[in-house]
Amino acid sequence: MPKYAMVIDLQSCVGCGACSIACKNENNLSEGIFWSSKITETVGTFPNVRYHYMPTLCNHCEDAPCVRGCPTQAMHKLDNGITMHDTKKCIGCRYCMYNCPYGVISFNWEKPFKFWRDDEPVLKGCTPSPQEVVRKVNNGTATPYYNPARAETLAGARPKGVVEKCTFCDHRVKRGELPYCVEACPANARVFGDLENGTHEIKFLLGKFRAFRLKEHLGTKPKVYYIRNFNPAAYDRTKGGV
Amino acid sequence: MEVKEKKKMKPTMKDFLDDLKLSRRTFMKASAAAGTAVATGAALKPTFRALAEASTAPASAQGEWRAATCQGCTSWCSKQVLVIDGRAVKARGNPNSKVNGGASCPRVHLAMQQVYDPDRVKTPMKRTNPKKGRNEDPGFVPISWDEALDTIADKIMELRNNNETHKYMLMRGRYSYMRDILYDRMTKIIGSPNNISHSSLCAEAEKFGPFYTEGYWGYRQYDVENARCITVWGADPLAANRQVSYYSSVWGKAIDRAHIAVVEPRLSATAAKADEWFPIKPGEDGALAVAFAHVLLTEGLWYKPFVGDFKDGVNKFVAGQEVNEEDFEELYTHGIVKWWNLELKDRTAEWAAEKTGLTAKQITRHAREMGMDAPHSISWLGGGPCMQVRGGYTAMAVHALNGIVGAVDNVGGTLKSNKEYTSKFPKPDDFMDEIAKKGKKHEKIDQRGRLQFPCINAGKSGKGVITNNAADGILNEDPNEIKVAIAYMNNFAFSAPQPERWERALSKIPFLAHITTNASEFSWFADIVLPNTHHMFEKWGYVKSIGNGYRQVTLLQPVIEPVWDYKTDETEIPWLIAEKLAERGFPNLLDHYKEYKDPETGKAPTNEKEFALYSLKYATQKLWDPAKHKGGDKFNGWEEFRQTGVWNSDPYPYRKRWGKMKKTKTKKFEFYSETLKEALQKHADKHETTIDKVLEVCFYQARGEMAFVPHYEEPYVLGDEAEYPFVHVDYKSRLNREGRSANCMWYHEFKDVDPGDERWDDVAKFNPIDAKKIGIKSGDRIRLISPTGKLECTAKLWEGVRPGTIAKCYGQGHWVYGRLASKEFGKVPRGGNNNDLIPAQYERLSGSTAYYAVTRLKVEKV
Repeated sequence: MPKYAMVIDLQSCVGCGACSIACKNENNLSEGIFWSSKITETVGTFPNVRYHYMPTLCNHCEDAPCVRGCPTQAMHKLDNGITMHDTKKCIGCRYCMYNCPYGVISFNWEKPFKFWRDDEPVLKGCTPSPQEVVRKVNNGTATPYYNPARAETLAGARPKGVVEKCTFCDHRVKRGELPYCVEACPANARVFGDLENGTHEIKFLLGKFRAFRLKEHLGTKPKVYYIRNFNPAAYDRTKGGV
Repeated sequence: MEVKEKKKMKPTMKDFLDDLKLSRRTFMKASAAAGTAVATGAALKPTFRALAEASTAPASAQGEWRAATCQGCTSWCSKQVLVIDGRAVKARGNPNSKVNGGASCPRVHLAMQQVYDPDRVKTPMKRTNPKKGRNEDPGFVPISWDEALDTIADKIMELRNNNETHKYMLMRGRYSYMRDILYDRMTKIIGSPNNISHSSLCAEAEKFGPFYTEGYWGYRQYDVENARCITVWGADPLAANRQVSYYSSVWGKAIDRAHIAVVEPRLSATAAKADEWFPIKPGEDGALAVAFAHVLLTEGLWYKPFVGDFKDGVNKFVAGQEVNEEDFEELYTHGIVKWWNLELKDRTAEWAAEKTGLTAKQITRHAREMGMDAPHSISWLGGGPCMQVRGGYTAMAVHALNGIVGAVDNVGGTLKSNKEYTSKFPKPDDFMDEIAKKGKKHEKIDQRGRLQFPCINAGKSGKGVITNNAADGILNEDPNEIKVAIAYMNNFAFSAPQPERWERALSKIPFLAHITTNASEFSWFADIVLPNTHHMFEKWGYVKSIGNGYRQVTLLQPVIEPVWDYKTDETEIPWLIAEKLAERGFPNLLDHYKEYKDPETGKAPTNEKEFALYSLKYATQKLWDPAKHKGGDKFNGWEEFRQTGVWNSDPYPYRKRWGKMKKTKTKKFEFYSETLKEALQKHADKHETTIDKVLEVCFYQARGEMAFVPHYEEPYVLGDEAEYPFVHVDYKSRLNREGRSANCMWYHEFKDVDPGDERWDDVAKFNPIDAKKIGIKSGDRIRLISPTGKLECTAKLWEGVRPGTIAKCYGQGHWVYGRLASKEFGKVPRGGNNNDLIPAQYERLSGSTAYYAVTRLKVEKV
């Protein structure tokens, strides 16, 4: 059985957010919900200042606190290492959110796609309403650009009252495709693969660089690794001075 | 609507890397406890299952990836769209493209929210309120295509019958290369000189630099994968224009190999991924460029196989000392010594440090880096340094550095476009009657070519457009009034500086038709609005772009089922107008369009749909017809080309232009521009005056021989420093699809991918030192005021801003366009439009609108 993991090369990452927007597209994420996100930081004071960007997503922890804490086993581990969620079993208690040290699980406080449920046009008779567009384009389901492939393994769009999070695009991986954030990254900063496969490119990267993971000291054993630096700037060497 | 996100304390990277507040032991204990302590009642029960169940449909329909083109910015990447049951689901880079390949920058995904934007106009509509103005509701009501086209044809016929066809005007915004059908042929055959493009709002001054040095009027491609040093000037290739997808895909590798420096007053997306940031004072780029040149020459770092050398091999470029021209033997360049004597000899790093706010040490160090890495050393000219009032010579200075280090046309350097083999449409001449010929002879409404507007593009006086000045031409009826205007995919009342002039100008035009996807600020003044197809999903066409050492011709195709009855701006609509004109006894335009025959069958088009397709096949025949193949990718016919979606040129032929630069007077790379000298002289002669006078009325400081060499000019910034303490720094978002994505949810949800910006907000960024001085903190609502306008937005303190400047992104501030773009449609803008701050000023030699280092600002709390 493969054990899936992702390596993110921060030097290749250009901080464009294509991964996160593509994720919303692939997984039919409602307004305000992000499975793929980032932490940014501006360090220093002018003119010695730098901007840093670190993509984040579910870490698919080997020892996943969200799974341990789920009372209904809605949050569970697949054999391939993916931390998966079952919308139907979810009772919306949000313990997983509480337990997740990374803040990557979201809760649906509202019926999804509020924007698309609006029935008011901006110019009566001349422009449609969002609802009308969804009705015409996609039989009233979710959004006009709704991706049906998502529904193969999870509710195609998640209802009010349940949590949701990144699934490493399990529906795609099952078909032998890469997670969509990996495919959509223009910079090839995300490398996905099987840790059990000794010849795999991610094994090469994890051996070549000293990879780090988020909050490693918590012992969750994340399966998202980071290598190199967003900002590998060259500088003039000195010994400083007193 | 607006998605309210819960305001949480933003986590920092530190929290995620070494949050030692919580140990592993206590953490594991806590999470287990929470699990066992579960109660059944407290949880929120899922109340909405229907959608989840309904959507677990079998994924039988996997859909098909169809070739398309993204014109979200002018990178013009080749794409593929996943179409399921006639519906667009997602997009990716077209792997068949050698320019962008499978890479896609973030903006392509927003196209889904554009094509299905509920606020797209779904039917032709007409205005019922005869009063025009920003605060006048046009009272748009739906009408049929027939009624709309009848009205337009009647208006055109009225001009023709009155022999005043020159009062017809066509305004062009974003285009494909089908443009000439509507922009050129239709305007000419009707009989008007007034086809006005948006081009000079875009970047004409950027082309001025390469043209008057190496005779190339166009955007460059930069060979970053082979470069060892990359100096980026006011360009942000990882965020905006051009080839964002391509450069994003190779930047990680480029940083491995090259020393990258970014010259820009604010910390841009690209500066964040560079070795070095030069936070220059706005408008002082020219000082830095000539100082780099000075150091390169004094330290003997010019690339001798390109430039040549002193006859005795001894470097006589010594600061402050003139050099005898006879002592230097130039190879593929012209005028290095003249340039040194006229401009460079005193332009030391110390001198530039004072001007630019940088240090002499940093300047010298980087100049050496540039020289040591020659010839694989790029000087990357963006719009920043040259879209300024005195930016023409800065464009030359920045580009001339490529000449010094031999990077022109070279491996790891700056490249022009590769050859492509598309064809022009049939000539209109035979279809222009006496009225048309007479009408076309009138002066153009943008006043190009007048003494104070040389627009000497590609060497010819009055050749370039001066888009933003057309508003003044219309307002002052100078050279004449405009009675009937058609415009497409432009939004000058938003996208042009000092747009209030456009509001008045458009109000003044008696009949205005606008072809657009959304009811924009421009549409607000229209009498008739026609719903346009979306370029990426619904239109036939093609565009050309360059990058990665290749040129591509990529197809725009109708790949989805359109939701409403849109028609295509550049083909279907002109055909339909031509039909209506023929009905009214003026068949010339329709007869002309019937010449665009299908190359496969020889059939003339009989309706607008056939016309759209045949004209495209006509223009691209040499690319797809194996019998006419001239180079690059080869196809077995139209169908294969259409499915592939893109033709790639042959690879770049490096160094083929050394000594053979066709468009320069000397055929060499000119540091002393004989080409510019001739162009300026011709313009001066045309107006019976001197070059000095031309420069004076164009606000340039140079006189005499200085006019012909790249040189430093002091920035020309409006506003008194005492009253307006800050200089405005404008930039573009990596999510801007031109200025048209502000109605996309994902634009607002991801606005913080622009360094320093915030989600669901439009922030003006201040350096904390300045903010403290004027008592402003992050989150304050403020008003920015320039000498010509004002806007409201939110203040943000950010270290990535140079003190003394305010950086604010362009793209928001729409007061119509849609429910998300505006705060209250038709009334209140969301955020502020930078153009409301920027005065209508020009780099007059090229006609470019000035966006940068052009105005000062003051701040008020709201």
